[in-house]
Amino acid sequence: MRKQISLLLLLIVAAGFALCLAGAPFGAEGARESRRLVKDNVNYGRRYVSKGLDENRCANIVTSVVLNYRGFDTLGEVTILFIAALGLGAVLYGRRAGASPDEAQRPSLILSTGCRLLFPLIMLVGIYIFIHGHLSPGGGFQGGAVIASGFLLICLGCRKKKLNSVALGAAESLSGLAFVLLALIGLAVGGSFLLNFLPTGKVYALFSGGIIPLIYIAIGVKVGSELSGIIDNLSGEVR
Amino acid sequence: MVSPILLIAVPLALAFLTPMVGLASKSARRYMPAIAMLFNFIVAMSLLPKALEAPIIVRTAGWAPPLSIHLVAGPLGLLLSSLVALIGLLVAIYGIDYIREGARARYDVLYTLLLVGATGVVLTGDLFNLFVFFEVLCISSYALVAYRGDSAGVEAGMKYLIQGAIGSSLVLIGIGLLYGTVGTLSMADIASSVGSVAGSRLFISLAFMIAGFGVEAAIFPLNAWLPDAHSSAPSSISAVLSGVAIKAGLYAIARVVYTVYGASSILPFLAVLGVVTLLVGEMCAFAQEDIKRLLAFSSIGQMGLILFALALSSATGISGAVFLIISHGLAKALLFLATGYMIYRTGSRDISSLAGMGKRMPIMSLCFTVGAFSLMGLPPFVGFASKFTIVRAVLGTGSTFFITLLAIGLIGTVIEGAYFLRIVQWLYFKPAPEAMPEQTEGRAPLTALVPVGLLAVLIVTIGLLPGIVGRALGPAADDLLDRAAYIQHVMGD
Amino acid sequence: MNFLTSYIHYVGCFALVLIGLYVALVKSNLIKVIIGINLIDTGVNLFLVATGYLGGGTAPIFSKAAEQSQEMVDPVPQALVLTAIVIGVSVLALALALAIKVYDHNGTLDLRKLKGLKW
Repeated sequence: MRKQISLLLLLIVAAGFALCLAGAPFGAEGARESRRLVKDNVNYGRRYVSKGLDENRCANIVTSVVLNYRGFDTLGEVTILFIAALGLGAVLYGRRAGASPDEAQRPSLILSTGCRLLFPLIMLVGIYIFIHGHLSPGGGFQGGAVIASGFLLICLGCRKKKLNSVALGAAESLSGLAFVLLALIGLAVGGSFLLNFLPTGKVYALFSGGIIPLIYIAIGVKVGSELSGIIDNLSGEVR
Repeated sequence: MVSPILLIAVPLALAFLTPMVGLASKSARRYMPAIAMLFNFIVAMSLLPKALEAPIIVRTAGWAPPLSIHLVAGPLGLLLSSLVALIGLLVAIYGIDYIREGARARYDVLYTLLLVGATGVVLTGDLFNLFVFFEVLCISSYALVAYRGDSAGVEAGMKYLIQGAIGSSLVLIGIGLLYGTVGTLSMADIASSVGSVAGSRLFISLAFMIAGFGVEAAIFPLNAWLPDAHSSAPSSISAVLSGVAIKAGLYAIARVVYTVYGASSILPFLAVLGVVTLLVGEMCAFAQEDIKRLLAFSSIGQMGLILFALALSSATGISGAVFLIISHGLAKALLFLATGYMIYRTGSRDISSLAGMGKRMPIMSLCFTVGAFSLMGLPPFVGFASKFTIVRAVLGTGSTFFITLLAIGLIGTVIEGAYFLRIVQWLYFKPAPEAMPEQTEGRAPLTALVPVGLLAVLIVTIGLLPGIVGRALGPAADDLLDRAAYIQHVMGD
Repeated sequence: MNFLTSYIHYVGCFALVLIGLYVALVKSNLIKVIIGINLIDTGVNLFLVATGYLGGGTAPIFSKAAEQSQEMVDPVPQALVLTAIVIGVSVLALALALAIKVYDHNGTLDLRKLKGLKW
């Protein structure tokens, strides 16, 4: 019964999708073919590509869109990740995961030494990714995820290590605050939230893009500490 | 002048700060949500008079509206964000002592962020940004429903999360289709270019968005999660979910239908859905023995009535809908809050266990009665004024279709009256069971009595003097109805 | 233009959405339902990226070699997808935490066996 109803529902949705695909071309491709919808010959995606380099001096246009034109979305996005980390902690509160460190098999010397050796390198890659977010593919979210993978390696490889949850929480809170404050400075200085108030410098240089790299660093720290906090919560006792 | 963006930025900053405050002093942390919401309430109320004249457009990152995300703090948005802040403030005060178990530190942050999400939804002028804040609201509600970690709460949270996540994906597909068609995400910009594109693509994207937002708004076939989620959550959370969160879904639907698409052709369909939702909700509520489940089903019914009024597409109708959003928000928050301590006192959620409550918790019972009478639509309370506006609006349209629907809907209101009177009867006219151990720990503290009392006072005051909010209702209705003015305000000339 | 070349990516991502929807609606194992939701998310993200695709376009990142903005794909959907991915991850993390807790309470992940609430 449930299956039949579900299949019926799927058919309806599929028919909807099919209807969408029929007819005129769609998306950016469609906009290129028919200039019909492109007002003043400018589609916003196109406009960001053609003017973004001059406006923010940020070689990676996606970063420019993510942190400047649509930076407010990113603030919401960071908040959502924060909520997920907190919610996970709230739901699993008081729970103790798996075997205690004494019962678990001790890692071999090679494993634990290898992990410790790899850990700084992973950190370095992560930090590189979010510091260069405005120049090359990558950014705060990607870099933060790489950093958290380093902590995951430590958790798996050297079982005794316990992350300092107070420090993680502090990093999480302070980097979130830094993002909001950077945005609010823009409001105070230029009357617009998230305004790129710093000199934007020269394109392709490390110090370019105004506040964009600063925000990405804050996001990188925040995402890294949040994901590490999730790993910590899943592997140990949640307090 | 204060910028409306502070309504989002400052509570967000305070939420990020809360864990740090918690390190210094655990008791100070409990006041953080109340401080954030107090700030929001003051700012929203101070901006409201200005917004009644013309919507305040806030640009971000220094670019003129269609280029970057912008907020549109119009009459409707600010009115609703004041309501969010008011209910949020009172419930936050209630929560200071009410929440005794679980990860208290996380509760305070999640609670603030839920309200930030709701504020963002009503203020934003960008479709994708609407989705992002909607997700902030939804994900923090999933977490808060399961906050206590008990079996019922976790299952309800899981159910809510599964349905909500599928709904959000549908919304995102709708947004993607729309972006692919018109190449912009600003609501005003879409509204101005949507007219030039005809065709099935727009209709399908609208259908996806209504289905997606409808999950959160608990419109009839999509409301399976609500009774479980609202009844299993801690009472303070139920109050916010019923009073604020589901309205955000409804607001999103109204904004998309009226402003973004200007799709008046689907309004009769929404009106029918609204009446069906009303009947289903009230009938299910009638059959409940669990007081919180009853209140949850009653919320579904009221949402149906609001949807019906929104679909009237007349200024009076939408005024009535907004008025009902306000009155239902206040009343349902009051009912859930009052129930919270009654449940602590009796240790049971059965309606029959409320017997004799009128003597044991006189203030709570009195306030509960005020809320119940207001929801039923009895004269001196705010519920009457709002329902009366809706009836007047329906008669004003003069269409047989809407009048027939209203007549069917009135059956639901009668059912509602029946079950609320039954509860009041249990509260006052049934003798308390003899061998009831007198628990002192369930006694309501001042932090609970003050918000509950204030809500009751507000319900009576606005009921007697509907002009207090009445002045803002007309502009709020125009905010939704007048697309051309909305586009003009946002895009300039 | 040829149907296959212009629409194959849309067909693919819609198929992914439909498969995910089927899994989420029909399966009764909680983990499978969560996988279904994740499939829907993936499909939607691919769909968003596909809306910005231009035949022969490059990633919208300038480097000194190629500075031809005409040949770049639309950056906005990519920014949206970045947000959508993070939202998807958040929902996934929360869902798995709830699934752990459901298992702790009931000793099963079968939705049909959860008696507490009506599914």
